[in-house]
Amino acid sequence: MQEQSQTRKAINAGITFAVILIFLALIGFTFTGAELLGDIVGLDVQLRQRQMPSRDTITAYAMFVGIIGLWMGLRAGRPDPERSDTWVRAALLGVLAGIVAGVIFGLFLILVGTFAFNGVDLRKQLVAMSVEAVAMLTFGQAPIVGAAIGTGLLAVTGAIGGLLGRGIGRGAWRESVSAWRERATDWYQGLPITRQIRRSRISEVILYAVLIGVVLFLPTILSSYWNYNLGTVGIYVLLGLGLNIVVGMAGLLDLGYVAFFAIGAYTVALLTAPQPHALNWSFWAALPVGIVLAMISGILLGIPVLRLRGDYLAIVTLGFGEIIRILSRSDLLTSFTGGPRGVRNVAGPMLFGTPFNNERQFMYLIIAGCLILIFVTSRLQSSRVGRAWMAMREDETVARAMGINTWKYKLLAFAIGAAFAGLGGVLFASRNQFTGPEDHNLLVSINVLALVIVGGMGSIPGVIFGALALKGLPEVLRELDTFRMLAFGALLVAMMVLRPEGIWPSKRRRLELELHEEAAAIEEALPERLTPTPGGEST
Amino acid sequence: MEETARPSVRAPVDRYRLVQIIIGVLFVAYLLWRLYVVLFVEGVYGADTWARFAISGLVLGSVYAVIAIGYTLVYGILFMINFAHGEVMMLGAFAGFFVFEGLNSLMINAAEGVTFLAAYPVISVFLAFLAGMLTSTVAGVYLEKIAYRPLRSAPRLVPLISAIGASIFLQNAAQLIFGPQRRTYINPEFLTRGAGWEIMINERPVVLTYTGIFTFVLSILILVLLYVIVQRTRLGRAMRAVAEDKRTAALMGINVNRVIAQTFAISGAMAGAAGVMWGIHNGIIYHYVGFIPGLKAFTAAVLGGIGNIPGAMLGGLFLGLVEALGPVILGLHFQLKDVIAFSILVLVLIFRPSGILGEVLSEEKV
Repeated sequence: MQEQSQTRKAINAGITFAVILIFLALIGFTFTGAELLGDIVGLDVQLRQRQMPSRDTITAYAMFVGIIGLWMGLRAGRPDPERSDTWVRAALLGVLAGIVAGVIFGLFLILVGTFAFNGVDLRKQLVAMSVEAVAMLTFGQAPIVGAAIGTGLLAVTGAIGGLLGRGIGRGAWRESVSAWRERATDWYQGLPITRQIRRSRISEVILYAVLIGVVLFLPTILSSYWNYNLGTVGIYVLLGLGLNIVVGMAGLLDLGYVAFFAIGAYTVALLTAPQPHALNWSFWAALPVGIVLAMISGILLGIPVLRLRGDYLAIVTLGFGEIIRILSRSDLLTSFTGGPRGVRNVAGPMLFGTPFNNERQFMYLIIAGCLILIFVTSRLQSSRVGRAWMAMREDETVARAMGINTWKYKLLAFAIGAAFAGLGGVLFASRNQFTGPEDHNLLVSINVLALVIVGGMGSIPGVIFGALALKGLPEVLRELDTFRMLAFGALLVAMMVLRPEGIWPSKRRRLELELHEEAAAIEEALPERLTPTPGGEST
Repeated sequence: MEETARPSVRAPVDRYRLVQIIIGVLFVAYLLWRLYVVLFVEGVYGADTWARFAISGLVLGSVYAVIAIGYTLVYGILFMINFAHGEVMMLGAFAGFFVFEGLNSLMINAAEGVTFLAAYPVISVFLAFLAGMLTSTVAGVYLEKIAYRPLRSAPRLVPLISAIGASIFLQNAAQLIFGPQRRTYINPEFLTRGAGWEIMINERPVVLTYTGIFTFVLSILILVLLYVIVQRTRLGRAMRAVAEDKRTAALMGINVNRVIAQTFAISGAMAGAAGVMWGIHNGIIYHYVGFIPGLKAFTAAVLGGIGNIPGAMLGGLFLGLVEALGPVILGLHFQLKDVIAFSILVLVLIFRPSGILGEVLSEEKV
C-alpha cells in the first residue's frame, strides 16, 4: 500500500506541475519568468518579431522550467515519515514525476507547435501564443524535439529535486528551524538590554520617535516619482486603516468601501474645481466637508443594512459601490458630476498663502494623515469601543448577552471607516487634481480588502505592511505589472487557506483563530468526516 | 409585572417595523403612480413596445434563473456565497465559443465551402453545450477542492474572501489567456441573432427571436430537470439531507464531501449552460462577462428566497422583467438598469430578507 501511494503521489505531483506549467505558458508568464531570471544571471532575454529566439532567451527559459522541475521533485521525493526511503527511490520518484509532467507538457507543445509553425495565428484566440513565444517554448526546435527536451529536462531536475527533498526531509527541516528560532529567542531575551527595554516604556517611545523621524526625513531624499508612488501607498494605508476597523475589528465585510472614497473625492472636486459648479472653495474648507459627508453616507447606508447577515452585507455594499459608480458616470448626473469625463483642476492645499502641492509637500500631508489615523486607531483598538468590536466580531450573540449594543457599535465602525475613506478620497483627488468615475471602480475596494487581509486583519502594522507589499512592490517589479491582479486573486485564496491570520497578525486575532482551530479539531475527532459548525457564530 | 414590562422591551423593534412598513407603502404608492403616469398620462409606448420589453426581460430572466440555481444550491449547503460562480459561467461561455469557432473552420466539403457548423447545426449546438457544461463542471469542482474545502470549519468571512479571490483570479487568468478583446459568438444558421417570427400586436410587428425562444425554452427545461433531480433522485435526497444537517447526514452514511463536490458539479454545469446560452443570445463575450450577470443572479436567488429552487426561478424571471421594464416605468435612462437591479437587492434585503417565497435554510446557521 505504502509503495503504491508514494508512486501515486509522484504521479499526482507530475500532473499538477504540468498543469501549472501549461497555465503559465498560456498566460505568458514563462517569458516574464525567463526575463526575470535573465536579469538575475545576466542573460539578454527578448523575443523579436519574426526571429528565432536567441540562445540566451532559450537558456533562461530552460532555467525557468528547471526551477519548476526542482520544486516538483521536492514535492514528489518528500520522504514518508514512517518509512526510511533510499536515495535511489527518492531520485526515481522525482524522475517519474518529471516524465509524467514532461509527457503532458510535451503533448501541449506538440499541439501548439503544429498549429503555430504551420501558419495558424494562435494569437487571435490565445494572446500569449505568438509564433516567437511558441518557438521559445519548444526550445527553438521542432515541436516533437522540443517536447523530448522538455521531458528530459523535467526528469533530470525532478531527480535532483527528489534527492534534495530526501536530503532535507520535511520533518527534520521543520524541527531544526524551530530549534534555531527557540535558541535565538532565548539568546536575545537573555540579554540585559532586552530586559531593560521590556521593562521601560521610554524605549518604546524612542523607537516610535526614530521611526517617525525616518518617515519624515524620507521624502526629502526621494525623487518626485518615488514620492508620488509612496504617496499612493500612503493613501492606501489611510483606506486600509479605515477598512481595518470595519472588517478587521468589527468583522463586517464591506465590499463597497470605494463608495465612501468616491464621495470624499467628489466632494472636494466639486467644491473646489472651477468646473462644473465654480464654487472655488479652498482645500482646507472642503476637507472637513468631504470627511463629514462620507461619514454621513456611511451612517445612512449602515442604518438599514447593518441588521443583515454578514455575507448579505458584503453583497449589498458591493451593490452600493456599483450604484455610486454607475450614477457618477451616468447622463442623469452629468451636469452635476461631470459624467464620464470627471472633474478637472481640483484645488491643491494652500499653506500660509503659498501653494503646497508638489509631490514632496503632498507626501508630508499624507504622512500627517496616516500618523493621525494610526494614533486614533490604536487608541480606539484598546478602548472600550475596540473591545466591543472584537467581541462582536468573534460572537455576536455572546457580545449581545454581555450587554453590548451591537447595532450601535456596528454603525460606529461603519461611520469611522467611511470617514477614513472620505479623507483618503479628498487627498487622492486633490493630489491628482482630477477625479472621475474610473478612479472609483470595484478594484479599489478589492485592493484595500486584499491589503488588509494580507497584512493581517485587525492589525495596524499589518495594514502598513500590506499597503507596502501590494501597492509598493508592483512599482518596483514593473515587469510583473500585467500579472498583478491575477496574483491578488491567488494571494487572497492562498492567504485564506494557508495563513488566514495574515502576515503580521494582531496578537488577539491569532489567539482567536488558534482557539477556533482547536475547537474544530476536537469536533473533528468525533465521527469521521464531519464538518463542525463552531458554536453560534454569526459573522 | 410581566405584562407591563413586555411592551417596553418590544417597543423599539416595533418602531423599526413601522418605519419599514411606511417606507414600503410610500414606495409602492410611488410605483403605482409612475405606472399610471407612464401608461395613461404620457402614453408614449404602445402595447407592442411593452411586449418587446417584456419578451427581452423574460429571456434575460430565464438565464438569470439558471445561474441563480447555482448560487442557491451552494448557499443552501455551505452557507457561503460562491462569488466565483459568474466566472465559472464565463469559462463555459468561452468553451462554447471555441467549439463553434472550431466547427466553423472545420470543412466537410472543401470544394463548396460547407463547414461542419453549417452541415450539422443541431449537433454543433449540442457539442457546444456539452463542452461548456463540462468545462464549467470541472472548474466548479476544482474551485471547491482548492479554494473552499480546506476552509470548511473556518469562520464564515474566510471562505467568502477566498471566493472573492478565486473570482478575481479566474477573471484575470481569462484575460491573460484569451486577451482583453470582445468576441462575437458564431451561431449556426437556424439561430441567427435578430431573426425570428413576427407577430402582430397593435398592428405593429413584434419579433420573437429564435435565440430568445431557444434560450427561454432550454432554461425552463433545465430548471424542471434540476427540480426533478433535487426532489426525486437519491443524490437530491442526499443533498437536501446535507443542507439540513451535515452531522446527522454523515451519521446516516452520506459522504458529505462527495455530496458537496457533486453539488458544485451540478451548479457548475448549470452555469456552463447559462454561459453558452448567454453567448448564443447576446452574442458578445469577454473575460468580464460573468461578473455582473453573476451578481444579478445572486440578487435573483435572494429575491426568491435563498436555498429555495422555485424561488430562484421566480426571482430570475422577476429580475429580468424589472430590468427590462423598470427604466421605462421609472422614467430613467437604460444606462441605469443595473442601478435598479442593485437597488432591488438592497430593498429586498432590508424589507424582506427571506425573499418572496421564503428561504429554505436549516436553523443552525442562520
